[in-house]
Amino acid sequence: MPAANSNSPLPGAAPAVGVKVEGLAKRFGTFEVLRGVSFTVQPGEIFVLMGPSGSGKSVLLKHLVGLERPSAGRTLVASHDGADPATRERVRMALVFQAGALFNSLSVYDNLALYPREHRLGDEAAIRDRVMRALQILSLENAVHKLPAELSGGMRKRVAIARALVMEPQLLLYDEPTSELDPVMSATITEIIATLRQRYQVTSIVVSHDRDLALSIADRVGILMGGQLVFLGPPADLRQPTDPRVADFLNPRIDLEHPRFKHLET
Amino acid sequence: MTARLLAWLPNPILQVLHGTGSALFLLVRSLRHLPSLPRQFGRFIEQCHLIGYTTMPIVGILSFFIGSVLALQSGHAGENVGYKQFIGALVGLTMARELGPVMAAVLLAGRVGSAIAAELASMKVYQEVDALETMNIPPERMLVLPRLAAVLTMMPVLTIMADLVGWFGGAIVAQYTHFISIEPASYFANLRQYMDFSDVLNGLIKAEIFGFTVVLVCCHIGLNTRGGPREIGASVTRAVVTSLILILVLDFFVTKALM
Amino acid sequence: MTNNPQQTARVGLFFLLGMALIWVTFETLSGGKLWFKDKGYQLVAGFDSLKELKTGDDVRMAGVKIGDVALTRLAGRRAEAVLRIDSDKRIKADATATIITQGLIGTGYVSIDLGSEAAPVLPAGAEIRTAATADLNTVMSQIGDLSRKLEGALGGLGSALNGDSRQPGLLQKVDAILAENRENLSRTTANLQQITDKVNRGEGTLGRLLHDSRLHDELLAGVAELKQGATQARGFLANAEELVAEVKRGRGTLGALVYDQKAADDLKASLASLREVSEQLAQGRGTLGQLLKDDSLVRETRALLKKADRAIDNLDDTGPITAVGVVANGLF
Repeated sequence: MPAANSNSPLPGAAPAVGVKVEGLAKRFGTFEVLRGVSFTVQPGEIFVLMGPSGSGKSVLLKHLVGLERPSAGRTLVASHDGADPATRERVRMALVFQAGALFNSLSVYDNLALYPREHRLGDEAAIRDRVMRALQILSLENAVHKLPAELSGGMRKRVAIARALVMEPQLLLYDEPTSELDPVMSATITEIIATLRQRYQVTSIVVSHDRDLALSIADRVGILMGGQLVFLGPPADLRQPTDPRVADFLNPRIDLEHPRFKHLET
Repeated sequence: MTARLLAWLPNPILQVLHGTGSALFLLVRSLRHLPSLPRQFGRFIEQCHLIGYTTMPIVGILSFFIGSVLALQSGHAGENVGYKQFIGALVGLTMARELGPVMAAVLLAGRVGSAIAAELASMKVYQEVDALETMNIPPERMLVLPRLAAVLTMMPVLTIMADLVGWFGGAIVAQYTHFISIEPASYFANLRQYMDFSDVLNGLIKAEIFGFTVVLVCCHIGLNTRGGPREIGASVTRAVVTSLILILVLDFFVTKALM
Repeated sequence: MTNNPQQTARVGLFFLLGMALIWVTFETLSGGKLWFKDKGYQLVAGFDSLKELKTGDDVRMAGVKIGDVALTRLAGRRAEAVLRIDSDKRIKADATATIITQGLIGTGYVSIDLGSEAAPVLPAGAEIRTAATADLNTVMSQIGDLSRKLEGALGGLGSALNGDSRQPGLLQKVDAILAENRENLSRTTANLQQITDKVNRGEGTLGRLLHDSRLHDELLAGVAELKQGATQARGFLANAEELVAEVKRGRGTLGALVYDQKAADDLKASLASLREVSEQLAQGRGTLGQLLKDDSLVRETRALLKKADRAIDNLDDTGPITAVGVVANGLF
């Protein structure tokens, strides 16, 4: 079926999709993680969602792929309800997990081959072709037979991205792709995200608190604080933020005289 | 109405009901993927290997000694009352109807159930299960169904081995213990006189029920692990304890039902 | 996905081995018959009491298991056992079912005899002939009955022997009678002579008892058997033991008879029947009274009493129940 150009694992045929989040709210028990978040992501756009730890970024991402059900509001992926499991059958979405979520019992090759095998996308030869191309894109050919436990953090993230690529997604979601990586590796991952979008026009939503990533590759940026969107706009607008909270988040001043943690509300 | 009733119940009972219900839902979701079972053949074989082949030695050792002890105890007690000659039937029936299946299931819970719970709990904690879901691969299909099929295939094999090894263990003890000293020929003649294949079949049915329950419960508890890596250990403990309790509770009711 | 062929082969081998073992077990235990127990056919057996019999006990023909007890129930004034007989076993219409109680822990079975060759075969659902059998309990209760009767009978004798305070001892009385009726006695010698001759020739029951040693031996043997039975019973049945113990303690008439020298002396003095006889003799009535007028009768009577004497002397040496036999023998 996917007869795209030979140097691409991604089919030009499957168009990128848009995403719409409408008044999304989520509470765990009495704790409100999201309080009415709304935004739209255009097809083919790179949308970076930033925010401090615990602001609900990852939870929001899980709503998009249907791993969480909203308490109120809804998410739409190409006008299908994100909470509906059937959406995953209509739209190919891939989530790159923060820790990779590679299958520890399977080799890198089998990790990548799992999706096409389970969905019977061609015979073993075709699958091999597909997997190898995805690994090539991320320069992982040497890691084919390794187990996830044998990989470094950066490689693990690249394998996770490769595994997402094998799915030929219409929507690619990254959860903290550059966390826990050294600056060079972070830059590499950032470049990969941009390259993939550029080559295959895939809609990308990146959850990160990596300021460099947001400023360099994002088409638009949203900043989530306390479960609400406090900023939504092009990264250029972030250079002179009007909101003091945003300004503080992006350029935290280290003040040893009045340490921040002493003022934190518990 | 139901909601009001449920609100009245104490928490532990509510948890039991919740666990039972969601385990059954897991079963139903797994069974929906039954048509895809032939494609899971590789995983099925892998699980068969784990559940059957690698569990066999410990089942053998344990049932040998269970059979021996049965013969020893009944021989000791029967010596004075004069039912010594019934040791064959006693060991045979007890192993086939009760201890063979129960011991096989207990070992399954300890050896395989814990491994299943640990594996699935770690997959859950490290988001591998979530990854499967985003890949539109139902975890029930890939993780639960092959295990259920494997345990149903392997349980009768384990149980019949437990039965036979137990019988021979009893025979050896009956022959070589000085206060019993019953020849194997008369031991087995007695066993055959008082036993029917239906007794063995009864045990095999019980074993299937136990094994299926153990695997389902361990899958369920593993997949419902929440939180960090610490929870993996807690899940394993819970899975094994729940399995053991269920084996013995079910044992009572199944035995009664099969009588 | 990446199963190595070795693993697959191991699993396959393991599975086939298991199936083979199940098959072997099946063949061994059920002999390749159908999956479940032979349903067989049913017969009904009615008894006064099923005793220890319960559902699941064996039905055996000539000692071979041919079925089991499917059901026990009360039907009106009797108890019924429904017997399940293997379908390939045939029961003749004149075969009799009895309940056998085996051992002390109460395992029983129904024994059916072979019946006669020519008799027709019982159809399913038919009723089989039954017979009540004496089991240990019945035998013991019969022994108990017997000893009660014996006690009663000997009790009457004992009171007769002890005598009334109003009347003199029987022997003196007899002596007196004899003295008074010497003439009468001699007159009837002929008749008595005829009787004693008959007795001497071994005619009649009395004669045979006196002269046929084989009969005596048989009686002794019978008594010995009874004794053996009592010894066995002692272990199992408390009341039997108590009875024997009571006898041994010399209580009850039987005990007194056996162990009490005074009682033996009383016996030596007289016999219950003689008391009545003597009263009649005193009045010189009846054939016997007339007979007594002869001298030879006196001799005969003396001889008889000597025999009784001997018997009583023997009492001290013999066991309790054999002693009864000797007493009986000596008296007649």
